[in-house]
Amino acid sequence: MKALVHIRLGRERYGPTLDLQRRLRALRADGRVPDLLLSVEHEPVITVGRQGAEEHILASRRVLQRLQIDVHAVERGGDVTYHGPGQLVLYPILDLRGWGRDLHRYIANLEEVMLRTAAQFGVEAHRRPELPGVWIGLQKLGSVGVHVRRWVTMHGLALNVNLSPNLFSLIVPCGLHGVEALSLAELCDAPPELAEVEAAALRTMAQVFDVTVSTASREELSRWVM
Amino acid sequence: MDIAIPELGDVGQVRLVRWLADEGQHIHEGQELVEVEADKAVFVIEAPGSGVLRAVSGAPGASARPGQVIARLEAT
Repeated sequence: MKALVHIRLGRERYGPTLDLQRRLRALRADGRVPDLLLSVEHEPVITVGRQGAEEHILASRRVLQRLQIDVHAVERGGDVTYHGPGQLVLYPILDLRGWGRDLHRYIANLEEVMLRTAAQFGVEAHRRPELPGVWIGLQKLGSVGVHVRRWVTMHGLALNVNLSPNLFSLIVPCGLHGVEALSLAELCDAPPELAEVEAAALRTMAQVFDVTVSTASREELSRWVM
Repeated sequence: MDIAIPELGDVGQVRLVRWLADEGQHIHEGQELVEVEADKAVFVIEAPGSGVLRAVSGAPGASARPGQVIARLEAT
């Protein structure tokens, strides 16, 4: 069975995590680290993917500065999205040469992780044709967006656990007008803690990708990226 | 040497995102040439060999299918 090493980053700013992903992805491509899975909860940030349009950021730069929300143009697929406290973000750094070299299946598996994780909290989400991510009706519960170089992935998925809905209104999520973000907490009688959802998502990741997941500390991570 | 959209698994069509090299530029093997996107996954296509980049087809936003030739590398 394949193995995946999980590293919990906790609450982190987006920029340093992006640098870390890039370094780890390069190391993975050179075979110097195993397949990895980073989990993180970001400080408020707006990211613009390769399909992104600046006009999908509705708030002015002045408002974003006042709210201390950074904006990053990034290499992942997709348009504009928001990350912030109350959202579980997973960044798999996988060499897809060991996973069938199938981009469609990889994205479908990331969606499946979110669907099955939500189900464990009594929430039945679904896919929408041509609109990657997981949905409750027309509202978005989770997003995907990845970048693949030399068949090694970075970026990943973001599942809304208990996100401030006000902050999502700063953007046109995914560039789709009329789409609103929804969190698990709004759909559950007892809103789950992020840590509970993270644990469920890690177990689900192991099932969906048919891997064992072990944990590495941040100290071990530091040794890899020194 | 042709540069074609690679097989990316169960992906029927990709969208060209941006070229990372210019027509007429000398390219070395493994150099990143173009990004394509399918299903919110951006994939970087690298040069399969060395040569001068010619016959670049497909502007950003254009669709292409796996196997479709989008440029050529001319031996120098």
